[in-house]
Amino acid sequence: MSKDNLDIKDNNNLFKEERYVQQRENKKQFEAPCSEQETAEALAYSKSAEYMEKNFDRKSVVINPHKACQPLGSVMAALGFEKTLPFVHGSQGCNAYFRSHLSRHFKEPTPSVSSSMTEDAAVFGGMTNMIDGLENSIALYKPEMVAVCTTCMAEVIGDDLNSFIGNARIKGAIAEDFPVAFCNTPSFVGSHITGYDAMLKGILSYLYTRSGIQATPGSGEGTGEKLNVMLGFEPYTGNFAEMRKILNAFDTEYTILGDHSGNYDSPATGEYEYYYGGTKLEDVPLAANALGTLSLQKYTLKKTQEYISGTWKQEISALSTPLGIKGTDKLLETISEMTGLPIPASLTEERGRVVDALMDSHPYLHGKRVALVGDPDLLIGLIGLCLEIGMEPVHIVCSNGEVDFNDQKFKIEAEALLASSPYGSEATVHIGKDLWHMRSLLLTDPVDLAIGSSHLKFAAKDADVPLIRVGFPIFDRHHMHRYPIIGYQGTLNLLSLIVNTVLQQLDDNNSGFNFELVR
Amino acid sequence: MEPIRKDEIDAQECGSVTPKSKPCPRPKPGEAAGGCSFDGAQITLLPIMDAAHLVHGPIACAGNSWESRGTLTSGPSLSQYGFATDMNDTDIIFGGEKKLRDSINYIAERFAPPAIFVYATCVTALIGEDMDAVCKEAAERLAIPVIPVNSPGFVGSKNLGNRLAGEALLQYVIGTGEPEREISLGVNLIGEYNIAGEMWDIEKLMNSAGITLMSRITGDARYKEITWAHRAKVNMVVCSRALLGLAKEMESRYKIPYFEGSFYGAKETTYSLRQMAFLMNDREMERRVDRLTEREESRLIQDLRPYRKLLKGKKAVLYTGGVKSWSIISALKELGVQVVGVGTNKSTEDDVRRIADRVGDDTEYIPEGGASRIIKTVRERKADIMIAGGRNMYVAMKEQIPFIDINQERHKAYAGYEGLLRLAKELTYSLANPIWKLAASPAPWDKEDSYDH
Repeated sequence: MSKDNLDIKDNNNLFKEERYVQQRENKKQFEAPCSEQETAEALAYSKSAEYMEKNFDRKSVVINPHKACQPLGSVMAALGFEKTLPFVHGSQGCNAYFRSHLSRHFKEPTPSVSSSMTEDAAVFGGMTNMIDGLENSIALYKPEMVAVCTTCMAEVIGDDLNSFIGNARIKGAIAEDFPVAFCNTPSFVGSHITGYDAMLKGILSYLYTRSGIQATPGSGEGTGEKLNVMLGFEPYTGNFAEMRKILNAFDTEYTILGDHSGNYDSPATGEYEYYYGGTKLEDVPLAANALGTLSLQKYTLKKTQEYISGTWKQEISALSTPLGIKGTDKLLETISEMTGLPIPASLTEERGRVVDALMDSHPYLHGKRVALVGDPDLLIGLIGLCLEIGMEPVHIVCSNGEVDFNDQKFKIEAEALLASSPYGSEATVHIGKDLWHMRSLLLTDPVDLAIGSSHLKFAAKDADVPLIRVGFPIFDRHHMHRYPIIGYQGTLNLLSLIVNTVLQQLDDNNSGFNFELVR
Repeated sequence: MEPIRKDEIDAQECGSVTPKSKPCPRPKPGEAAGGCSFDGAQITLLPIMDAAHLVHGPIACAGNSWESRGTLTSGPSLSQYGFATDMNDTDIIFGGEKKLRDSINYIAERFAPPAIFVYATCVTALIGEDMDAVCKEAAERLAIPVIPVNSPGFVGSKNLGNRLAGEALLQYVIGTGEPEREISLGVNLIGEYNIAGEMWDIEKLMNSAGITLMSRITGDARYKEITWAHRAKVNMVVCSRALLGLAKEMESRYKIPYFEGSFYGAKETTYSLRQMAFLMNDREMERRVDRLTEREESRLIQDLRPYRKLLKGKKAVLYTGGVKSWSIISALKELGVQVVGVGTNKSTEDDVRRIADRVGDDTEYIPEGGASRIIKTVRERKADIMIAGGRNMYVAMKEQIPFIDINQERHKAYAGYEGLLRLAKELTYSLANPIWKLAASPAPWDKEDSYDH
């Protein structure tokens, strides 16, 4: 059959057909529609400064949140370790959400199980579910480690993970020496980044303690003089590859603590496996002997950083997402300081090429007003990038920044960074706010571009600004996560994304006078 | 992921045959389970597009789920907003009822919805929030319906949640309004959620036959039209397991006859339209339906001819839930595709019986979920294509198996006569794509290597 016969209309075109339009018109008899005038008035009101004030006064309800919950981050953290099965202790639906959420972003399967607690568990506690769940999941999925996190339900009824797992061993449901790391991750505290942190710390401390090794920090014993690197809640598999490229260019030994890129970027070989890649379990206790630990998400990895500097007595260098030229410079200088190795010429050359690219594009980006949404560390990186190419961050919303009045380090750092440049003078940082707040900001004080996750597409459409998809989750575009956004190469990728969006907009909006060939 | 239960259809004790209060089979601990009751309740009610849907609980339940279903709207979009009370640890200790009340007030004032649905979550149920009282008080004060949906995640499966949502509709919505005089009485569709716009294709067909679609429960619905659902002449239950209880209750309360049907495949579609006309007890309408279905079917036969030639003898493994577990089989059979394996984990006993009626004796039943279990069936039965939902899609890709998404994330409408044609086209597309050949052949240097041995 010829290919031409296979014309499948998508919803956009299909439902534009006259018969469907007619049908929708007919349907209005079932509605209690407002008049067109009323609708227009309400829409205008929702765009007004008056409404914005009321919107920002809102205390109780969250509208269009830009955060997920702790155990979602825990599942991602668990998948960063070799042959490790994430185990969500609580009622079953949560796990289904995590699997869909992560799979929709990475376009890969997410192996993760649940202890499927129900009403009886709510009354009698979830111990039986834990014991049965461990036994069943180990038999079925043959992991080498299970990483247990909790949901709200287990937390509210006060399940004791440590004793439950201990009882599972006593009852013979799991072998005495089978590793089961765990952490508490109630959803009513923190967000996906807090949960990532909790599980990473849980796994590191568990594997270290059970190994019996006494850390001799900086000795490099058994490891060479290694560096530990943590990328944190990392929605880009490409960032792991980029980080490896940089570290290899330095020719330093390193251990990535928590590397889920294998699990979320595996080849189609014709045979599905549950586990691909991940940090080797035996490398974790040895990591305690490394020279130092480099953290690329200092706000995300707070507890893990504390643990490493406290228990492992290790030097910690904590950065935010190394984005842009200055952000990457800082990364390279930090690696150089920590390892004592010089910055490789290949990276200096790459830096020059990317600076050149930024210069090529700057006329189209200078003065562009930008709205930013994301997790704290990503936002620090993005603000830095904007400022160095003369883009003006205007509205910055972080749903999961510290809302505690005494602990607003992220907000303080972001504001200091903005204050360091005239291009940051118009910016306001909103923490603990949601995307409905952002909508008000976009409508009352318009910008040229919005940068954020797919969830921002609704507000961006209302405000008629193009959305550049960066961060988590990105559900409605393919393969974005495969390209790095960190390092010089990542900066180039982001630059291309941003400048080409602007150029596309010029073509789309051309008035007949500026449809030019050369830009 | 892999199943735990044995391949026993007998283990399915759920749905219409067993008493309503008996819970659906629960997943065993240690499985990669499907959605929960909260999810199920939301799925059922979210397609009421002009209503506000407020999740009372910590951020997760809303944060992980808002705007992730492909249920389309032809107008209002309030349902697409993710509203949550975002309870924190202080709320859990001191209670979140004030926050809930304030949230309801805010939504009522700023969005003026015709109704607000408030969903319980595990946490609010465990700490004993009196949601019913808060909703009742708010409804009286604000003079709009504020409907508590008591379906916390831990009470059971997604399907139980569907049913609990149905109960909320019965208790708080259906029968609270009266149709405007100019609306002619007609059929309610129950359990059709307008995924990818399927409802619109169905509605178009019903209109062509002169049958009025009275209340959509709930695909692309408006709150008001559900309040007068009790005046319908006929109920059609489209997704059989989930909302059968609702139809039964409406029959006993309002004497509305119901039938279970499907719109997947020409035969099922024709049957459903005929059944509507028959139960409406209108001879003229029956004649019109006959004329319409004959015309549509004969046109479809023409249109399908080239596809049938390509699809004949192809084998498929079908892994889906509810009504689709059997109704898609009919559709596939009409296309000449043989179903060699079929999932039954979300099917009622009735569904399984219907599956058995439609497949051959050597079809394998897959009672429990799990990627590797499905893959095993595909491999053993030498199936050409896998038809399943989003969570299994990427596993199929890893295994290089042609795939069609049939569940809530699908972007193509497969209902009705045109839907069957679309399904045929999609199957052909998926099977014929050159990527499978490319994926199956090793890199050229590996090929050379194999010649050496």
